[in-house]
Formats: sequence, structure tokens, C-alpha cells
Amino acid sequence: MSEVLLRARFRLRGARARHLVLAVRVVAGGTIAAFALSTPGFMSSLSINALLNAISLIGCVAIGMTFITLTGNIMSLCLGATVSASALIFLASLSFGVFAAFLIALLFGVAITAVQGFLVGSIRANPILVSIAGLSLLIGGAALITGGQRIYPSGEGLQMFKGRAAGVPVEALYFFATVVIGQIILSYTRIGREMTMVGSNLRAATAAGIGTTSAITYAYVIAGACSAVSGVLLAARYGSGDMELGAGYDYIAIAAVLVGGTSIQGGSGSVLRTLVGVTVIAIIEVVLLLRGFSQQLQYLITGIIVLLVIMLHTIGERR
Amino acid sequence: MPILAVDGLTKRFGPNEVLKNVSLSLEAHEIRAICGENGAGKSTLVKITTGVHAADTGAVLVDGTPTEITDPHHAQELGIALVAQELSLAPALSVLDNIWLGNREVPLFHRRRELRDRARAALEKVGLAELPLETPVSRLSIGWRQLVELGRMLTRDARLFILDEPTATLSDVEIERIFAALRALKAEGKSVIYITHRLGEVFQICDSVSVLRNGDLIGTRRTAEIDRAQLMEMMLGRSLREMYPRWESRPGPPMLEVKDLCVPPVMQNFNLTAQRGMVICLAGQVGSGATEVLRALAGLAFDATGEVRIAGQPVQLRSVRRAQRAKMQFISEDRAGEGIFLRLNVGQNLVATRLGDHSRLGILARQALRATATKLAATVGVDRARLRSQADELSGGNQQKVAFGRAIGGDEPGVLLMNEPTRGVDVGARADIYRLIRQFCERGYCLVMASSDIEEVLGMADVIISMYRGQQVAIYQRGQADLHRILADITHPVAA
Repeated sequence: MSEVLLRARFRLRGARARHLVLAVRVVAGGTIAAFALSTPGFMSSLSINALLNAISLIGCVAIGMTFITLTGNIMSLCLGATVSASALIFLASLSFGVFAAFLIALLFGVAITAVQGFLVGSIRANPILVSIAGLSLLIGGAALITGGQRIYPSGEGLQMFKGRAAGVPVEALYFFATVVIGQIILSYTRIGREMTMVGSNLRAATAAGIGTTSAITYAYVIAGACSAVSGVLLAARYGSGDMELGAGYDYIAIAAVLVGGTSIQGGSGSVLRTLVGVTVIAIIEVVLLLRGFSQQLQYLITGIIVLLVIMLHTIGERR
Repeated sequence: MPILAVDGLTKRFGPNEVLKNVSLSLEAHEIRAICGENGAGKSTLVKITTGVHAADTGAVLVDGTPTEITDPHHAQELGIALVAQELSLAPALSVLDNIWLGNREVPLFHRRRELRDRARAALEKVGLAELPLETPVSRLSIGWRQLVELGRMLTRDARLFILDEPTATLSDVEIERIFAALRALKAEGKSVIYITHRLGEVFQICDSVSVLRNGDLIGTRRTAEIDRAQLMEMMLGRSLREMYPRWESRPGPPMLEVKDLCVPPVMQNFNLTAQRGMVICLAGQVGSGATEVLRALAGLAFDATGEVRIAGQPVQLRSVRRAQRAKMQFISEDRAGEGIFLRLNVGQNLVATRLGDHSRLGILARQALRATATKLAATVGVDRARLRSQADELSGGNQQKVAFGRAIGGDEPGVLLMNEPTRGVDVGARADIYRLIRQFCERGYCLVMASSDIEEVLGMADVIISMYRGQQVAIYQRGQADLHRILADITHPVAA
């Protein structure tokens, strides 16, 4: 019974649970696909476009959220507000030219989350609480500065971020670029590997001499950059903005991360998984829409599905 | 009549037959050791007798009657009590509350005199007469908690106590207390099943020993009738190789110098000079400061002060990275908590501290990383086919080898700091680890190891430093010390 053997036994159970999770995933994926394909109009270019539109904006936030979850910091409730705020910054600084405005928005998003990441990493502040503090600071600050007014573009150049190129919505192109860059950072860079290690076991990472503060800060930096991209796309789509723009994005993003199969405990996950997660959620929403379910019912059903997926993963992860 | 007997037990999990036709019986007044390497079937056997698993074939006999033990609660009613490794006490509650927690006899208002008296009586039997009933369990050491757990089982009229590696994390003093409690229980006519990795304990406390190997019962012997070598042969299934490798001390140039190292609150003014090619053992129990010294050298004690030099160069304390740059690597005893990354694969674990040497501009050289991982796996004897397995699929021994592989990292030999290098490692893998340690020694590493296992210290050390409550008691060269001297040093030194 050596403790090790005991663990071996749970491992057996763990392996079984992993197989079970895999089986359920395959069945669920098949069911969703069958439902989608049998839904009249799903394969039309109209609904595919709707799907891409739905995926792109939330998807960017979800990619960013993946890094926070992966480093063991669960989620940030501040990303939605970061999306809105960087959208406003982008609109307000368009007068400097669209590239400059994009950069400014990006830097702003990064700055907002980097501070949070540094607090979480260096003094081990509770990530959820830090993000709530960030959220109310952003909302309060924005209300003070804008006086609650909508912000309109201060210059030209929004076309860069909307419409379509080669028949594909531009937003989707930006999103896919984000996915590719995110996955490359995770798999092919030192900092990406260190993030995974920090998320897998913070104490072991400390003992191994890994810069845990910098790994966590970088994860938040990436999350901020992704949110800013989403904010710019949103600003372009609507042509004006307020702090409500990205409200609620963080919730759907974390749902996508978890549905994709990134571990809520950190240390295991990937950007590609989140891509799958966000696609699955979007497909379900589009299918429900096409089948004529009311908006309220759509929310309800999506909620139930996300809950089921999370329960499934919790069982799979239990050791 | 035996209190408990099992007859022809067979159990399979999927394709694995983990118990094959196992029969044994246990009398009152008997302490029975069950030994076997990891995976031998000890755990399954206990789980069947405590109602966690049902056997596929065979019977469990309680007092000679075939009984189907349906669940752990049923086992408890039959008087079979499991003292598990993960203790089931509630740390925030008092000793008294813990003793009665979950006991169905207890009425709603439970602070009655009678309950106190019975709890006190039970604690006296396990040697805790002086422990106030109101003490919160969180203030007790692990050893004391196990004693409380024994007392708790006594109040439930347990007759058979099953202890699962009770001493794995205890100091010798605490172990002595547990042994005393077990002897007292035995004198009362209770029986004990004692599962352990430590062969010394089998002969110290047990009347008889049953050995399992790969699910087979190899045999049951009276401990008076066999010796260590025979027992190891039964467990390993091959004639006894020496557990500890033979070697000749060949001290190289001085490598590590430590002067006036203080690690509050435990350690004061620790001094050490260690040479390449030597194994220095800090022998001491929990609280002796041995572990703290290693952690401080590794940069993991953030209030350590003192002077440390590696090959003459001063090393700043309190920084893991500086320690690593000075070629000092730490191997933790707490593999799951601090040693390795359970959710990463073996290859990633092996190169975890070497990403810097294998990347350019932050981009990983994956090919080179793989090559390094393969080389390290070969060095420490981990099957290269397992490089892609998740680390939590490895046995404790293999995990420890991975931790070693990670620590030897660079090509230039440095200092290895090992805290309890064989904790939770089974006998077979333990010999492998000892051989590894000696190999590194020959390659010019300087090894400093903290251990509370005196036998291991005597078997491995070129130099032994015995420690007690933050003081260095004595320094012995190889061959100068024996078990009794070290035991005396680390438990109650005369001069301290």
C-alpha cells in the first residue's frame, strides 16, 4: 500500500476516466456535428459567416484567457472590460492614424493586465480578486473620463478591421492569426514552456529556478494583447463604443477554454483546444438560432451544455 | 482461532491479476508485517479486508466465519480498523472531537463526562496520557496524529489495526512512540497488520512477516526465524545484491564551503567543507536542521544568512537561480509537491531547468531538447520509451530518477543537494538510486544528502554529520560511526 501503489491505483482510475472523457467527447462532438449538418441552412455561407463572426471576437479573448488558466490562475473577470476599454482607446486615438491607434490600444490592454499579472505572480495575490479590482477600476476610470458618453471614431481607417478579404471576414483572419501566434508561443518558446510548468506545479517551478513572476506576468500580458485585438475588432464592427461593448466576454471565454479541455487547475491545455471550445459553443448557438429557439432558451441550453462539459472534465481530472 | 484469515483470494483489475490465490491468517496478540515491492498487491489485499474492494474468488474469514465485508463501515463494525497514510482527522477540531467524530454512538449533545473518560482511557493506551483533550489536532505532529487515530479506533472497539507505512514521514522518536503503542495494543490481545518499506522495522516490531510479490504470496515467516538478507531475497525474488554499492573514498579537491549558515528559526552556525567525489550525509530527524541546510543552499530559504563558496567563488544565498548558476542543484523529497511536474511528460521534466541553454531568442530548440532528454534518461536509467509518458504515470522510484536526471543537467559536475533521496521509493529502485549516487560521485560531483534513515546514512556516506535541533553534534569519517552512536547523536546527544 505503499503510498506509491495507492497512487498507482488511482492512476488506473485516472486512465479510465481519461478514456471515458475521450469517449464522451467523441460522442458529443459527433452529435453536435450531426445536429448541425441536419439543420437546414447550417451549411449556407450566411450561417458560416455568422459562425465566423461569433467565433472571432470572443475567440480572441478566449485565447488570452487560455494563458491565464494554463498558468494556474483560473480566470480573469477583467478581460471583458479590457476589451471595451481598449476599443474606446482605439476609437479615441484614431486621429493619430490607424496603425498608431492599433498599437496604442494594444499597449493599453497589455498595461492593464500586466499590472494584474505582476501582482498575482510576485505577491501571489488571488487572481480572481485582482481581476475584480481591475474590472471596477477600469469601469470607474472610463466613466470618469468619458462621462458616460459613447465614443466615436476620431479618424479614418476602420475598414482595415472589418469587411472581408478573399471572401473571408477580416475579423476571422485576425482571429486565426491570434490562434497561430498563441499556439506558437505556447509550444515553441521558452516562456510558453515555463508557463505550462508554473501552472502544473508552482512550487516545483520555484524549486527549479524558473522565474515564476515573469511567466505569470507574460501570461497576463498575452491575455491583455488578445483582449485588445478583440476590442479593436469590436470597435470597427460597431463604429462606436462604450464600456458595455465587451461585457460578458470573459464568461463566454472561460466557458470556451473549459469546453476545449484546458485544465482549470492549470498546467495542461492549449490554444488549439480553446479554438475547438469556442467553435463548439458557437456552433451550438448558431444551430439553436437556426432551429428557431428563443434567445432565452439559447442561453439556457448553452449554459447547460457548458455545465455538463465542465462536470465531465472535473471527473476526468480527479485523481 | 485466527481473528482474520483470507483464503484463496484472487483479484484482477482489467487484464492485471493483482492478487493470485493468496491465503494467510492472523492470530490475536500478533503483529504481522506485510512486505513487498510496489505493485506486489499489498494495497489490494488491505482494500479487500477493509471492504473497499470485493475479491473475485476466495473468502475472508472473521473469527473463523466466512464474511462478506461490504464496505469500510462494515469492516469497522467487525473491528477492522485502517490507519491510512492520509490521516482522516479534522485538523481544526480538538483531539476529543476527533476521537468521537463520525461515531454513531455519540448523542446530539456530546460533551459528556463518559465520552471524555473513554477518550482519555484510549489515549492512555496509545501512550498519549499527557495530551490535553482540547488540543486542536492541527497543533500535533504527524506522529502524534497517528497515535490519536489509533486511540480513535480503540474507542470503536477495533481488534485488528492495519497500518499503512505509518513511519514514512516520522522521526525516530515518534516511531518509537508508535511502536510502544503497538506493543501495548498487542499486549491487550489486539492484532496489527503493519505495512512497511523499511526492513529494519519488520524485525524491530513484528512477530511475523508475509511477503507478496507480483500478487503471489511468497511466504509467511516468523521474524525470529529469518534474517534481513532472506527477507530481501523473498521480496526481490533474486538473491540479495548488496543494497548499498561498494566503493572507495577518493576525496577530490574541495568544492563546497559553508560558513556560519543560519536558517531561522531552526539552524544556527552550520559549517561544512565538502570535496568532489564525496557523499556527505547530514543525519538528523525532522527539526534537526538537516533539511533546512539543504534548502538554504538551494536558495529556497528566504531568510538564510551565511557564507557559501563553490570552488572558492562566493555564492549569494536566497536565490534559486544563483544557486543553479553555481552548479548547485536540489532534489526534493516531496516529488509530487515540489520535485517534478506531474502533468508534464518525462522528457519535459528532464529538461525543465535547461530551457535557457536550449533556446535562442526565446525560441526553444526542440530537437536539441529531445536529444538532451534522451541522454539524461539513459544516464539515470529511465526507459527512453517513457519520455512521452506523463510523469504521474511513473512509480515513485522512476520519478526520483527523473528528478536526478534533471538535477545533473549540465555536463560539468557540480553539487547535488538531496533531501531524503529514497523516501517513498521501493527497495528495488532504492538500490538503483544508491548506485546512481555513487556514479555521480565518481564523475566528480559533490553530494550532500540529508537523511533520517540511519541505515542509509551508514551505507552511503563518506562523511557523516549528525545533527540535533539545529546543532552539529559530531562529524564522523566513513567507518568511524555505528548505528547506535548516530542514533544517540540525533535523538539525545550527551553534549548538546
